[in-house]
Amino acid sequence: MGQWQTLDHTADLALRVWGADLEDLFITAAQGLMSLITDPTRLRAEQTRTLELTAPDVETLLVDWLNELLYLSECHHFGFAGATFHTLNETTLQAKVQGGPWPGYTSYVKAATFHNLAIHRTTSGYETELVFDT
Amino acid sequence: MTSKQDFKRITPYIWELPREHHPQMRVPARVYGSAQVLEMAFRDKSIEQLINVATLPGILKYAMAMPDVHQGYGFPIGGVAAFDYDRGIISPGGVGYDINCGVRMLASFIEAEEIAPYLDALNLALYQHCPSGVGEGSAVHASQKDLEAILVQGAEWAVKHGYGTRADLERTEDGGRIPGARVEAVPKRAWERGLTQVGSLGSGNHFLEIDVVDEVYDADVADVFGLRRGSIVVQIHCGSRGLGHEVCGQYLRQMQDAPRKYGFSIADRELVAAPVDSPEGQNYLAAMAAAANYAFANRQVLAHQVRRTFEQVLAGKVRNWELHQVYDVAHNIAKIEEHTVEGRKVKAVVHRKGATRAFAPGHPALPGVYRVTGQPVLVPGSMGTASYVLVGTEKAMQETFGSSCHGAGRMMSRNQATRERHGAEVREELRQQGILVQTGSLKGLAEEAPEAYKDVDLVVESVVGAGIARKVARVRPLAVIKG
Repeated sequence: MGQWQTLDHTADLALRVWGADLEDLFITAAQGLMSLITDPTRLRAEQTRTLELTAPDVETLLVDWLNELLYLSECHHFGFAGATFHTLNETTLQAKVQGGPWPGYTSYVKAATFHNLAIHRTTSGYETELVFDT
Repeated sequence: MTSKQDFKRITPYIWELPREHHPQMRVPARVYGSAQVLEMAFRDKSIEQLINVATLPGILKYAMAMPDVHQGYGFPIGGVAAFDYDRGIISPGGVGYDINCGVRMLASFIEAEEIAPYLDALNLALYQHCPSGVGEGSAVHASQKDLEAILVQGAEWAVKHGYGTRADLERTEDGGRIPGARVEAVPKRAWERGLTQVGSLGSGNHFLEIDVVDEVYDADVADVFGLRRGSIVVQIHCGSRGLGHEVCGQYLRQMQDAPRKYGFSIADRELVAAPVDSPEGQNYLAAMAAAANYAFANRQVLAHQVRRTFEQVLAGKVRNWELHQVYDVAHNIAKIEEHTVEGRKVKAVVHRKGATRAFAPGHPALPGVYRVTGQPVLVPGSMGTASYVLVGTEKAMQETFGSSCHGAGRMMSRNQATRERHGAEVREELRQQGILVQTGSLKGLAEEAPEAYKDVDLVVESVVGAGIARKVARVRPLAVIKG
């Protein structure tokens, strides 16, 4: 089970995320992001959307994944509640994303950035830090 | 580890980190501000980020931090960097997600005492007529064809459609229309997001504010700007909304491979860049211009909404409720400009990431009305303190590619601000100071609490000390709408 923690950043929002494997890291990063911008207790897994992303490397794939979830919340009022991955490797993501009506923003995030982005392998899995432009 | 001792004091307000400090630096880095400003820049990663900017190809003179500098996500906020058009790069991260975020100021002949009885009603009406917060509320229902025209024509589109006058365009940076915009360079999702947000403030640090001019430092210039002590002004702070965020995000991603392709290295992936004259660079410039034009149109429509609201609430109650534009400045932008570097004219791409253009008197880019005075530089402070109107100087042309600060600059994280303050408490404190607040988000209000920002007086003192702008007037808030 992954974990995330918020980090202080002068102007923006930042998270440190740990995951046992890539799937765990991606899910936990998404949960962390949701906790920054909405009340996560009000997210409901009522519908499913299929998502397919490809990227040149795993960091870009993570940024794409989070920005896709931001786009779904802002433009389709779809709040992320969970996901089941069909494929997740360094360059490809195929997932069924569960979610429901967007419960509303507590804070607004414009985008997940590439700032100093690197996904590190650790003895217990994966770790990364993410900065979000607010 | 860089420390304050590594900086050389050029003047009491200019500090330089020599190029030799880091093997990858191509030029020195400079911080414009007092010793205290320099010291504050070490509280977060501002200096580290400034050093990273100094490593980018084709950078001219220095990587520069204005006195309101703080940590960003790639470039520091309050960062200025100019790149040689032929040898240098363009960096979407050096402009940021909110392309052409900027400030517009409208001045009036209304006295503060005249407006006092109607301030509450006026602020409420502005809140109703100027959509704010996250979401799709917008003052204009734009069609696909409208959006296409907005992306190319910017504020001109808005004026053609009855949202303002030609005089507004004259008093907008670049006439409210940046040339070179190409609609086909704008990603599909940016279109989708742009359609529903023309004429909206957005959230975060965006605001609409009614202020009173409480100090005039240069009466002649203030007179040309239309600013008189005791009179009311309005400030509008917003940008290109979701359309700009999408343009930035998509081009950052598309350019990830460009440094390898063009044979240079970057210290941070958010600083990804492409040669200005490459297909990647040109496409981004065309998309950025389109997003910047969207932002000019957005502020133009909002200014129209403000004027309508003033008329609706104040007609027959005050002598003259008209609002005339002082200026509209962009503070997240990359501009193609000509500057003099070591005695020769250079075509440069000047990135201003949280920095304001501050052109000197006589500059050909300025409209006739401001050719003698220099360009108005709008510096909003926090909502509990004050904002300044400055004017550009020749020293700014020589030192900072005609650039100055863009605000007070944050010094406290949003997390810390919300840990320490409650929105309702901030609103009550402001009310006790005579400042009315309308907001859809009390948490957002806590994040923007005045103490989360540097002291704007200190920042402006540094700007003046460094000579990169002069003080014209100070305005104090009376009523605020927080996005």
